[in-house]
Amino acid sequence: MSDKYISKEEVKKIADLANLDISGEVDKLTTLLSDTLGYIQTLKELDTSKVGETFQVTGLTDVFQDDSKADSLTKEEALSNSSDNYKGLFSTKPVFKR
Amino acid sequence: MKKLNELTIHEAIAGLKKGEFSSLQITEACLNQINNVDKKIKALITLNSKNALEEAKRADEEIAGTGAVIFENKPLLGIPYLCKDNFSVKGLVTTAGSNVLKNYVPPFDSTVTGRLKKAGAILLGKTNMDAFAHGSTTETSDFYPTKNPWDIHRVPGGSSGGSAAAVASNMCLFSIGSETGGSIRGPASWCGVTGLKPSYGRVSRYGVVAMASSTDSPGPITKDVKDAAYVLNIIAGKDHRDATSSPAEVEDYTPSNNFSLKGFKIGKPISYFNIDLESEVKQKVEDAVKILEEMGAEIIEMDLLDPKYSIAVYTILQRSEVSSNLARLDGIRYGNDRKSFGFEAKKRIMLGTYTLSAGYYDAYYSKAQKVRTLIKNDFEEAFKKIDLIVAPSMPCVAPELGQSEKSSMYGELMDLLSEPSSVAGLPGISIPCGLSEGMPVGLQFIGKIFGEKNLIEVSNLFQEGTDFHKEFPSL
Repeated sequence: MSDKYISKEEVKKIADLANLDISGEVDKLTTLLSDTLGYIQTLKELDTSKVGETFQVTGLTDVFQDDSKADSLTKEEALSNSSDNYKGLFSTKPVFKR
Repeated sequence: MKKLNELTIHEAIAGLKKGEFSSLQITEACLNQINNVDKKIKALITLNSKNALEEAKRADEEIAGTGAVIFENKPLLGIPYLCKDNFSVKGLVTTAGSNVLKNYVPPFDSTVTGRLKKAGAILLGKTNMDAFAHGSTTETSDFYPTKNPWDIHRVPGGSSGGSAAAVASNMCLFSIGSETGGSIRGPASWCGVTGLKPSYGRVSRYGVVAMASSTDSPGPITKDVKDAAYVLNIIAGKDHRDATSSPAEVEDYTPSNNFSLKGFKIGKPISYFNIDLESEVKQKVEDAVKILEEMGAEIIEMDLLDPKYSIAVYTILQRSEVSSNLARLDGIRYGNDRKSFGFEAKKRIMLGTYTLSAGYYDAYYSKAQKVRTLIKNDFEEAFKKIDLIVAPSMPCVAPELGQSEKSSMYGELMDLLSEPSSVAGLPGISIPCGLSEGMPVGLQFIGKIFGEKNLIEVSNLFQEGTDFHKEFPSL
């Protein structure tokens, strides 16, 4: 099992952060993620000390539009795919423990 | 004599205008073909036949009532198509090939399908794809893999594999795909059809299940280049619902009758031909380059950054954006909860969570964005000396099913000739240039940003002088 670039503990921590259930898959994910991280180390060969970042490629920045009334979903439409709703609101699991 | 489902868009429009056949007849021919061959190919997820037949009847009524002039307002009236299942269509289940969205019915239309509807096109159904577009073979669909119509033991490519396989097997007149890094050009190449990936921002992403928001580009998969131009004419342009869609002027992409390659400079990047290419693929592409030269183009040997760096950049950016985009899927407002994610999605979300996390951001995400600048600058420098780049689309012909599981980087290594232009936001097209052991080989052109017109002119000229695009698999 390759865990050169990422440990099993880190993999479990990331799964927790991403809210994913990876039980039974920790070893496999550790190997695959370590392989991928190994591959992308190739970027270290390039000197980027004097280079800025490119977050978008078309030159558009700060796109604004008028704050005017536009078509929108009805409440029924917005709720139409929800797993559970109550009096026109989305129902969620409790966030805080009582 | 072609069957109606085998027609190109332009042939169908010419016939509809003259009253040689009806939209209903074309639509029925496509539905029959789906019925006959999709058991074998598995290109579709959802069939929309009842609506399609009703729309076809309405289209025929409009043509009969208004005459051929109606095509000026509705340029694709009565033309049946299929759409990748990551485009939201109001009232029609939209799964993105995933169990998470298996029962999701969007209450709104994506801009692309909305514009096509306005132009009169008829949606026959939705096509299979790698779940959330995470893959290059359509094998990671949470439902079933799609098979290549040229050889059902092989993959069609991905992630728009259902869309490409459907066009190659004449289930529709055209289809819509989306590309983040190879997902249109790859399956078009392996299925022997034409696939156009527009510049980033040329076609609105509104209503497309987001994969990597800084590179996602919807585009057409068609039977020839002229058809790709017809579809691009409809879907291109600024959309107030997608702030990243570009206000750059939309040209008429229809190829002109008098385009000439005299004085046209086509760059041939050494590093794109020196990778581990299948020898027959290399030969077919070299032969195509000779044809371009005979047509008057000046072929210029040049070089670009090694595509291996683009793969690394793409891998980091795509995973990072995936982890952010798929964070919204919590099963509360729509879709099933996060337990429904398949293994590939989980793997990608996890890598992206890692590369964006404190302590690793600079080493991975920020570094990738800086190398992206180098890639973008590299292309800009190249385009000062040339008009277009030619390359193979894929390093090999379609492989057999089951290969992609063998390497964690399989998809990226297959897409290495399209990922550089994807991260730079450039347009690219794949067109057929022959067969290798009975399987199609794709020829790729890459253009300047918003330079779709040049791509279309050159590839259309190539198709006017050759017959490779007229080859279809016998099913």
